[in-house]
Amino acid sequence: MFTNLTKLDLKDKKCMSDAGSPKLCMKALPGEGAERSCAYDGARVVLMPITDVAHLVHGPIACAGNSWDNRGARSSGSQLYRRGLTTDIMENDVIYGGEAKLKEAILEIAARHNPKAIFVYATCVSSLIGDDVDKICREAEAGLTIPVIAVNCPGFLGDKNIGNRIAGEVLFDRVIGTGVGSDEKIPLSINLIGEYNIAGDLWGVLPDLKNLGITLQTAITGDAKFDDLRSAHRASLNVLICSKSLTNLVRKMEIRYGIPFMEGSFYGIHDTSETLVNIAKALGDPDLVERTLVYVQKKEEETRKTIAEYKKLLENKQAILFTGGVKTWSMVSTLAELGINILAGGTQNSTPEDFQRMKELMDPSAQIIEDTSSAGFLKIIAEKKPDLIVAGGKTKYLAHKTRTPFLDINHGRKLPYAGYQGMVTFAESLTRTVLSPVWGLLKQEFPPKEGELDG
Amino acid sequence: METCIKGSKEWLNSMEYRELNFAREKLVINPAKACQPLGALLCALGIEGCLPFVHGSQGCAAYFRSTLSRHFREPVAAVSDSMTEDSAVFGGQSNLIEGLRNAYAVYKPKVISVFTSCMAEVIGDDIKAYLGNAKEQDAIPQDLAVALSNTPSFKGSHITGYDSTLKSLIECLAKPRQEDTINDRLYVVPGFDTYPSNLREYKRLLKAMDAPFTLLPDNSDVLDAPNLGTYELYPPATSIAEMNEALNAKSYLLLQAYSTPTTSKYLTGKGVTVETIPMPIGLSGTDNFIQAIAKFTGQEVPQEITIERGRAVDAMTDCHQYIHGKRFALFGDPDILLGLVSFLLEMGGEPVHIVCTNSTVPFKKAMEKLLAESPYGQGATLYPGKDLWHLRSLLVTEPVDMLIGDGHGKYAARDANIPLIRVGIPIYDRVNLHRYPIVGYSGVINLVTMIVNTFLDELDRTSTDAYFELMR
Repeated sequence: MFTNLTKLDLKDKKCMSDAGSPKLCMKALPGEGAERSCAYDGARVVLMPITDVAHLVHGPIACAGNSWDNRGARSSGSQLYRRGLTTDIMENDVIYGGEAKLKEAILEIAARHNPKAIFVYATCVSSLIGDDVDKICREAEAGLTIPVIAVNCPGFLGDKNIGNRIAGEVLFDRVIGTGVGSDEKIPLSINLIGEYNIAGDLWGVLPDLKNLGITLQTAITGDAKFDDLRSAHRASLNVLICSKSLTNLVRKMEIRYGIPFMEGSFYGIHDTSETLVNIAKALGDPDLVERTLVYVQKKEEETRKTIAEYKKLLENKQAILFTGGVKTWSMVSTLAELGINILAGGTQNSTPEDFQRMKELMDPSAQIIEDTSSAGFLKIIAEKKPDLIVAGGKTKYLAHKTRTPFLDINHGRKLPYAGYQGMVTFAESLTRTVLSPVWGLLKQEFPPKEGELDG
Repeated sequence: METCIKGSKEWLNSMEYRELNFAREKLVINPAKACQPLGALLCALGIEGCLPFVHGSQGCAAYFRSTLSRHFREPVAAVSDSMTEDSAVFGGQSNLIEGLRNAYAVYKPKVISVFTSCMAEVIGDDIKAYLGNAKEQDAIPQDLAVALSNTPSFKGSHITGYDSTLKSLIECLAKPRQEDTINDRLYVVPGFDTYPSNLREYKRLLKAMDAPFTLLPDNSDVLDAPNLGTYELYPPATSIAEMNEALNAKSYLLLQAYSTPTTSKYLTGKGVTVETIPMPIGLSGTDNFIQAIAKFTGQEVPQEITIERGRAVDAMTDCHQYIHGKRFALFGDPDILLGLVSFLLEMGGEPVHIVCTNSTVPFKKAMEKLLAESPYGQGATLYPGKDLWHLRSLLVTEPVDMLIGDGHGKYAARDANIPLIRVGIPIYDRVNLHRYPIVGYSGVINLVTMIVNTFLDELDRTSTDAYFELMR
């Protein structure tokens, strides 16, 4: 069942040094083969789906070169966010400083690319050479009509989580509440926090919200428009979808704007329904609660009926689950709904709370993946011989080499898995993956052993 | 004339903006180059039992692994020593030593290729001294080979990182050259090449011509690994024994002048004979390569190669009408651009815009010479140091029929409504292209096929009923 632990509860009651628990904001072990990205990447991930602004990377080519448009965060409007903008810091800039270059780059973007705002990302190099990105942004902004917002997220600060948190703080300090219009609360409106619209996930949830009469103010951030974000403080409720490190943001919004927050997930039937009902309850409208209870029951029935065929095919398959964020635990129940057992589960980029929830939802016999390096991952595949692996793209080809069916549920995927419709898509993808005829071909001995040819 | 809104699509497509765009100096938009350590990683993967090791912040390694893994659809091994804020203050020595200790214990490499990313270089880490200390502290065995290269992202590009790392690996592993230990082998250096199939093509041709050779480095079985049911961390690659003898080679043949100048200089300095020829793309490029091998072996070109050449020429002849007179835009690395342009000119294709972000003065001269020598090269302009946003302006103001370059070109191609032929790296949005060589005579056939069939697909997709037919 859905466990309700808040971070504070956890700190008091739960042991944070569990084996396999993500080392939140801790240093990575030098020399390990884990695929950890950095604080810069974490900040990029959270802010990149703001589609009508320019994202300028003040760094050497690696930082922007490897990250422009590298996630399937979809936009229904502006494509500006995809433009790969960088100052391309070179050796001379390292010696003489890159501030002048940065300022000119900002002005160029403002004059010619028509952004609603410019986010400027600091990187390891710009920070080490002492470029004052804050100062340059302030100076540039003084002559412009749009905000120029510094994001101080050099990669060396640590893990992706730290970058997520920094991005949240930037949004709180510089964006939310800066709109020119009314500050009045919009009834029955919510923000979805940590919903990046990967593969169009957000669009799978919007119809349900609309059918129930709930207004989405903005996703923070997914298919997000700058002006909607500025008025994010007008929402009546914050729904934390990817709990990660944006908890800070919702806590601050609660204190400053009086917006309560709750956590939820739109992965799987159970979690989608529970989240919708909890939203309705939190919005405090008895009519809405009643409507929602009826609605989710109807949707659940419909969805269960649709996925019944898939469930038959997937029942009793054994899986290894390795992901991050809300999916860490939400996928446990999603897989269970399809009759899939989890042999082992693990996480890297999520909070200890996510981890704890995953543990509580899994069968006690399931193993916790402690060694999250490639070596550890291979070992557990060899030991458990799962029917499928559900994880992020970074482990995909390792899984394939071990001839294990693999489904990407992180940002490398191309199909939306959120909401009721997403559950159907997920079940279909999973079935196609597990039942692909290629796995049978791979297991055939070649050349065949004596006698096998005659069957 | 109606003036359109600044920043709007119409305005960005205008000649007015093109001029402003080309005056842009401090901002790069849609970069067409990758960084030094990415090239270093590609190189290190080609040495047997070699573990690539990034000395720098942790995110860098994750980015490189992800870039290569998505392109090749293979697992890519690399570790990082994950420098953090305190390393910036105290230096990266403890990270390097701890990292080497852990990496050696877990991954048991025969050799470690340590290359730096920006952070270590900005704070001025002395990695040579740190390595000495690591061995002194028994973090790794005294006799473990560790190659060191300095490859910050703020200098050069992926091709220079490849070059420095290749040199460092030879320097670290090769025994000194002595007159009485010189072997009979031709060491062939492919350069920054993201086609395992190209490397296989070189090996096939060298075998067919009976040349004793070593391909250095050879990552073909690492980045196009067979599925045999288990994951091999260290698939076969250029062997340590061959690396040990690298300076005793009879001679070297370098196939990418612009991604190996440092290595070339180093080898020459050690008294090794080095010949550099253009990347064997197109007919004359491949002829050149075959002749260079024949010169090395002192034998005639075997009949089977002549027949193979005949098949390539046949394909070119049968398809000439589809390429002759067509206008092309290209972007990419210097060596691959020279090869592709040379091939297009052979077919009567007309290169119009050539964008090379990591251009050098010698490359510019070589490209201009190549273009000047052909009647089909007269309308071409090389744009050194420009990016894909410049390219976009060129495509929308001076249209061409086709764009050739890596997957990042798809945005500009879409805006200009022309097809993109994917050549280079990264290619995340098409499958298996790295399994089709673009070098050698087979490469000629593959290029002709890709280009012509794409034109014909476009024709079928866009023609009206009146012009839709079975034969093309």
